[in-house]
Amino acid sequence: MTRSTFLGSFRVWLVAVVAVGVWAIVVNPPASTSAQRIAHLENLVKCPSCQDLSVAQSTASSSLAVRHEIATLVHQGRSDTQILTAIEAAYGPTILLSPSTGGVGVLLWALPTGVVVALVVTAVVLRRRR
Amino acid sequence: MRRRLVLSVSLVVLAIVVALSVLLVTRQPVNATSVPSPLVGQMAPDFRGTDFHGARVHLAALRGKIVVVNFFASWCGPCQVEEPNLITFAWQERLHGVVVLGVVFNDTLAAARAFDAHYGTLYPAMADPNGTIAFHYGVTSPPSTFVIDPRGRVVAELLGPVSTAQLTNVVGRVSA
Amino acid sequence: MILTWLGRFALDAAFLACVIGVVAQVRTLRGRPSRALLWGVGALVAMAAAVGVMQFALITHSFSLAYVAENNATFTPLIYSITGMWSALEGSLLLWALILSALTVAVIHHYRADNTDPVVVWATLVLFVVGGFFILLMVGPADPFLPNPAHVLQGAGPNALLQDNPLVAVHPPLLYAGFVGFAVPFAFAIAMLVTGRVHDRWPLEQRRWTVLAWGSLSVGIVLGAWWSYQVLGWGGFWGWDPVENAALLPWLTATAYIHSVIVQDRRGLFRIWNLSLAVATFAFTVLGTFFTRSGVLQSVHAFSSSTLGPALIGFFALTVGAGIALIAWRGDELRSPVGVDHPASREGLFVANNILFVGFAFVVLLGTVYPLLYEAVNGTQVTVGTPYFATVAAPVSIALLLLMALAPVVSWRTVNAKVLWTRVRASAWAALGAVVALVVAGVHHGAVLGAVFLSVGAAGAAVRTLAGVFTSARRRGDWWSAWRAPSTGGMVVHLGVVVLAVGIVVSTSYTTRSEVTLATHQRTVIDGQLVGFDGLANVKNSLDSQTQLLVSVNGRPLRPAITTFNGRGAQPVGTPAIDSNLLRDVYVTFDAIGGNGAASGAQVATNVPAGSVVLGVTVEPLLSWLWIGGLMVGVGSALSFGRRRHRDEVPA
Repeated sequence: MTRSTFLGSFRVWLVAVVAVGVWAIVVNPPASTSAQRIAHLENLVKCPSCQDLSVAQSTASSSLAVRHEIATLVHQGRSDTQILTAIEAAYGPTILLSPSTGGVGVLLWALPTGVVVALVVTAVVLRRRR
Repeated sequence: MRRRLVLSVSLVVLAIVVALSVLLVTRQPVNATSVPSPLVGQMAPDFRGTDFHGARVHLAALRGKIVVVNFFASWCGPCQVEEPNLITFAWQERLHGVVVLGVVFNDTLAAARAFDAHYGTLYPAMADPNGTIAFHYGVTSPPSTFVIDPRGRVVAELLGPVSTAQLTNVVGRVSA
Repeated sequence: MILTWLGRFALDAAFLACVIGVVAQVRTLRGRPSRALLWGVGALVAMAAAVGVMQFALITHSFSLAYVAENNATFTPLIYSITGMWSALEGSLLLWALILSALTVAVIHHYRADNTDPVVVWATLVLFVVGGFFILLMVGPADPFLPNPAHVLQGAGPNALLQDNPLVAVHPPLLYAGFVGFAVPFAFAIAMLVTGRVHDRWPLEQRRWTVLAWGSLSVGIVLGAWWSYQVLGWGGFWGWDPVENAALLPWLTATAYIHSVIVQDRRGLFRIWNLSLAVATFAFTVLGTFFTRSGVLQSVHAFSSSTLGPALIGFFALTVGAGIALIAWRGDELRSPVGVDHPASREGLFVANNILFVGFAFVVLLGTVYPLLYEAVNGTQVTVGTPYFATVAAPVSIALLLLMALAPVVSWRTVNAKVLWTRVRASAWAALGAVVALVVAGVHHGAVLGAVFLSVGAAGAAVRTLAGVFTSARRRGDWWSAWRAPSTGGMVVHLGVVVLAVGIVVSTSYTTRSEVTLATHQRTVIDGQLVGFDGLANVKNSLDSQTQLLVSVNGRPLRPAITTFNGRGAQPVGTPAIDSNLLRDVYVTFDAIGGNGAASGAQVATNVPAGSVVLGVTVEPLLSWLWIGGLMVGVGSALSFGRRRHRDEVPA
């Protein structure tokens, strides 16, 4: 193949993308050290004395107290669910920035999916009717 | 066919909008006192410390008395409003087995001391290093007042400024 | 008292002008000549008078008005006195009504040659109704001119966070210009439905007004994010706050509308859908005013709760109800004679664009009202915050970037894979090259690599289109016409969006937050930035007193502080300091002071020695790209305002 058709080929490009993608993933360092778990949990808990900041973002002392507790519980070896449940037990369910998916909560994920599916189906159906 | 589709979609959207409007119109504006605490009925989390005058404070040692724990801050307007009421209540009930305790929330020690001195507080108040006590009580904003019965259970959480009458009322229900 | 009387008189006159305007328009429909300009100007003059009275009261610190006593003080500087008009509920309605009456006059004047055309008459009628409603709110429950019975010598002053930054003079007016601006396409949509005249020039005309409003709203939202960033102290710019979401909802449907109207112009498709979008956008605006002013949802941006809630919800239901009824009535007559031929043609990609924007708008609405719904059903409360919205926003953004990379280079009606590849090839290889460069440089974050890959593709498509336009303009010898070409503004906006997207993804993925304790003259290195502390300074002026820290970042001075504004309960607020360049922002806050230095108003850290301070240092890469991207979006929308020729329909 000449050079211009080599670069010009879609297949070549696609193979290159997949190769680069695999390379990027393989070189990726492994996740889930303690610090990363703590950071992840801190983003899920609301700062108790703020409107909508997470404890990761706020420097209020109530927020620092929660971060201290999270760090303590992580080092004690508790699981993510146990930690979030403990915090919820102290403050009530409003302290979690993302509501649980049980019960009514399933609506929060089911409804958007349903609406998007409905829109796509309508678009397809209308096209077929032409 | 097209007309039926448009009509049915219109009806669905109309129904959703009507439902949403009814929902929104019937909501009350957010009121500080309306948040229920998960601690009510549970054992009050224990804590210990030193008050502003150096005396030791230990919650569990106060079993047998009714304890009113008030989380406050000097910068909080409602706390300033309720402070005279708390002092009056503490003084009136001091011989009736009721103890009032103040705990500093999200504030500097010096400011809290100045606040106490300004109002002439007659009950012990203590600092909360690292906010641990506030964490265990789930305090999100001051003033938050917890009423604990003689067996150590949390009976009520009051958010917002308390009046003497309100406190007398709640405490009266505990003794009964 | 005289101010109260004058202000209320002006508002009553404005309301009366709107009502007479409606009657006059009805008479024009029956054959009389149009009097719209007279009553429109009348309403505008009366509103301007009302605003003038309020501004006079604020600037002269007249505490005989309750509003002035609550939002102004004798030492408030001129700029914050002026902006005090929109820092609380009743005054914000004055700004809203002023902009609406000015816009109504602009519309009447613009279409004066057609002022007996039923579409124009109906649209003007609707604008008078909307204006009348908002003025009625001020005549009734939200009276800005309420007198203050007490003779106070000093007012409370504006909210501390609203006198911290001059952006308060720009963000709300732009935002309101955007919201109010959407009343125009709504009015014309109603007019088109009532008269049945959907086919000719009107949809494209509406696009121009929508682009104007959309541009204002976009810049307004970005400025709001910039303002929050500079002032609130957590280093972030968007919190998925209910009021922020309320501003985002009409923006999303308006963006969908701007795109799908292009298809209607070229191929006559999506007529009903576009009319629905115009109605929905304005309805979301009204819903947004409800969220901001009813007190039903907690927000840092919300005005105090008020009795306006039911009135605003009623108006919201009315606008949607009217729109739906009209669409259901006319739906059959609006049927397009043609359809979408291929899902990957340009029309098909625009359909995908609309599905994504409208779907995401639905998700944002759901997340915002979900706490209310949950409480109504279960009695307890929940919070829906950033994790939910961010989880949904991520795939939507990826899909939109992909569409931006393809749609500008895809043909109408057909898809020819070979031709498409030749157009996309250069961008595709450039995108891959960019990713390789990043991986080599040590970037492994999947989201960042994916976003950059698609962003370069989208930028490539935009650049290619612009190059085509400019080249053909140069060949014709008329370089300037390229700036006014139909797709130029849009492609500049796309480039701005790409810059924004890269800035958002990189800064949220690689931001680091640290707390560092420094003694006087001590230096330390955080994330490659040299941070030093050189002492405290106390600065007082007529407005506030500040405890400033003398901090240096890489040798450049910064002054994070704790500020206490005079008046208003004297609660200290943190004032961050930011060192910004193209590569990164260093965001420094005064978090705590050591020993027992309580005088500063800062938190005291008992384990830190006296004379030392605790600094919050947040390093955010590429954060300034957000503001640059926002500027480009503003420029692009200004370019798009040029008149777009109604293109001949693409041949079958």
